[in-house]
Amino acid sequence: MPKDTVKLISADGFEFVVDYEAACVSNTIKNMLNAGGCFTESERGEVTFKEISGAVLEQVCRYFYYNLRHQNSAARSVPEFKVEPSIALELLMAANFLDT
Amino acid sequence: MSSGGKNKRIQIEPFKHPPQMHPHYAEQTWKVLEDAIEKIHNHNASKLSFEELYRNAYNMVLHRFGDKLYNGLINTLTNHLRKIAAIVESAHGESFLKELKNRWDEHQKSTQMIRDILMYMDRTYVQQNQKTHVYQLGLDLWCQVVVRNCQISERLRRILLDLVHKERTGEVIDRSLMRSITKMFTALGNNVYVADFEDPFLLASAEFYKKEASEYISSSDCPEYLRKAERRLTEEKERVSSYLDASSMDKIVCVVQTELISNQMKTLVDMENSGGIALLRDDKYEDLYRMYCLFGQVVGGLELVKDVMSCYVKDTGKQLVQDPERAKDPVGFVQGLLDLRDKYELIIKQAFKEDRNFRNALNQAFEHFVNLSPRSPEYISLFIDEKLRKGIKDIGNSESDLEALLDKVMTIFRFLQEKDVFEKYYKQHLAKRLLSGRSFSDDAERSLLVKLKTECGYQFTSKLESMFNDIKTSEDMIRDFKEKMEESGTDLGLELSVQVLTTGSWPAQATDQCLLPRDLEACCEEFQNFYLRVRNGRRLTWQTNMGTAELRFSCGGRTPHILAVSTYQACILMLFNDSDRLTYQEIAEASKIPPAELKRNLQSLALVKGKNILVKEPMSKEVNDTDVFLFNDKFQSRFTRIKIGTVTAQKESEPEKQETRQKVEEDRKPQIEAAIVRIMKARRVLDHNSIVTEVTRQLTARFNPNPSVIKKRIESLIEREFLERDQHDRKLYRYLA
Repeated sequence: MPKDTVKLISADGFEFVVDYEAACVSNTIKNMLNAGGCFTESERGEVTFKEISGAVLEQVCRYFYYNLRHQNSAARSVPEFKVEPSIALELLMAANFLDT
Repeated sequence: MSSGGKNKRIQIEPFKHPPQMHPHYAEQTWKVLEDAIEKIHNHNASKLSFEELYRNAYNMVLHRFGDKLYNGLINTLTNHLRKIAAIVESAHGESFLKELKNRWDEHQKSTQMIRDILMYMDRTYVQQNQKTHVYQLGLDLWCQVVVRNCQISERLRRILLDLVHKERTGEVIDRSLMRSITKMFTALGNNVYVADFEDPFLLASAEFYKKEASEYISSSDCPEYLRKAERRLTEEKERVSSYLDASSMDKIVCVVQTELISNQMKTLVDMENSGGIALLRDDKYEDLYRMYCLFGQVVGGLELVKDVMSCYVKDTGKQLVQDPERAKDPVGFVQGLLDLRDKYELIIKQAFKEDRNFRNALNQAFEHFVNLSPRSPEYISLFIDEKLRKGIKDIGNSESDLEALLDKVMTIFRFLQEKDVFEKYYKQHLAKRLLSGRSFSDDAERSLLVKLKTECGYQFTSKLESMFNDIKTSEDMIRDFKEKMEESGTDLGLELSVQVLTTGSWPAQATDQCLLPRDLEACCEEFQNFYLRVRNGRRLTWQTNMGTAELRFSCGGRTPHILAVSTYQACILMLFNDSDRLTYQEIAEASKIPPAELKRNLQSLALVKGKNILVKEPMSKEVNDTDVFLFNDKFQSRFTRIKIGTVTAQKESEPEKQETRQKVEEDRKPQIEAAIVRIMKARRVLDHNSIVTEVTRQLTARFNPNPSVIKKRIESLIEREFLERDQHDRKLYRYLA
């Protein structure tokens, strides 16, 4: 029962409601929601990330849409995705975790 | 991701995250995961948080507990599958397969879920350490623990093969179940499918069909066997597409083909009363087509069918050609050939898909037996003669039919090796047709000429064409002559028609002169004068043996009859104007007709019922030197116009045949010599064998020269100093310019 939107909750309690399609940019989230439809995440349509802070999760969500918009456009016309150096490392780790 | 354009240096601090790890961290985490896996296996996953499990696995791999995780997974799975195996094993009868299938479906699903939560491990640890991916691991373990379980594998195989066997013998089985199981095998890997299912399946099939083939072969005739084999083949193909892997298609088809066709085809073809020969004999297109299709699928199959056809055609052809009954009737003989050819053309068209190899074989067979009989060229010419004289009344008489028939004859003609012999006969027959004006259709004659020309080249028909021209010019000539006569007021007392023939173009005739009746003699002289006035320096010889005449006669005051007779017969009959009774000797003396001709003509005048204008004493069938002939004054006929059977083109008698043969041989000599000279002129020096092959090659369109004849010709050319032997190497010949 794929829903149109998914709620992503950060470790510190921020909630981000994103399109299902956008969330699936992350393979991890995609698997969570699709895996036979048997886990709590897919039943409720929300995912809690206990190791990702709100600030990072926000960037992640931004990246989802950034990726979605530009995945089919030519390399040159893609604008830079700006990241605050202060959260760069955490974001990298989140990206690794989320397989994005 | 980049740091943006800022010039601030970034300090990457040492990773602080779990600074102190719980001593039993790995144990605990694994316990959580193991529990989760258990729950997944028990379909209890809905209480689990994917994120949590993923995070745990993630952290374990991150903290270098990948080994522990991986090995733990193997253990858990193996233990789980052992239990499954036990469950499956304990299932009885039909439920066995169902149980296996259900468990397999579940296992697939749970493995997928496990893979998903362990995806991080799959991505990093597994790849770095070159282990098997989680999903594949699940399949491998399933294969090892369940499918190849010693209690299960044998039983599984037996059940599957049993089911196939049941279906082959006509029972209905659960195909979708079969399909799931074979799908399971392919999912486990192609090698598993091949080793655990396909190989035994193919073996069992081979055995099954071997048995069935021997049953069929003893119980069915050839067409029925073929039908069964065809059905079996389609069944197997359908089986593959409905519940086996597509890769098995070729293999099982090959097994069936080997067992049902390859191993039996010799027996099938040789079956008495229903084998290949019988099918050909009885025009069983459908069965032959089936045979062609089936045998075409195996190595050597078509060869076999082709050989059977070729042998059989040769046999029947040989019988036909050497049948003494047929030899008496040239037209029937050729008609027989044509029918035979039609029959096989149709078979090739209907049953053998116009296969070129088959057609070649057929042609070869025909070439073989047509040339078996030395009289073939003569008979073919006679056949054409018959058709062109009479038209083809029996099949509609239309030009296009005749055309089609001639085309067919040409195909037979093509097989002749001795085309020059045919030419000889054809010339004779054509001459008779043209001179007696009895050709059915001028167009047909010409079209046949064109056909011969395309077949054999300009040379072959040049003389035949000049014959046509002679006839044409003769017509003009005689018209001129008549005009002239009218102008000068000369009355010849009869209608004269002369055909002037070029010597050399027409078949040479022995010019035995007979004494013409006085009136006729005068006419001829008149024409001769006329002709020589127009064309100086030519010589005219009268071919009295080839002419025809029409006579009017009446006896006893009855209505006059018109007699159409040959010139010889006319000469004989005119003699009876002066007396009613003549002896054979007197007739011979007065007419000077050669004895053989005279006897023949007397026979047709005196001995044919209803047309006997003369009466012979004594009444016997043969004409003897001592016979006496009387005019038959009681002659009566319903017809005004009576045609006396001239002895038209008939099959040659034995001595005549010899004579023609000799003439042909004589004609060949200059052709062979010309070929030799042509070759030597180009090559200057050549050895004997090469000359022979080269000459044979050049002349083969017309006839097959005999090597010994070629040798004689070479000798004669050496004598006449066209060639010489090489001084050093006696095998070589040199051309002398």
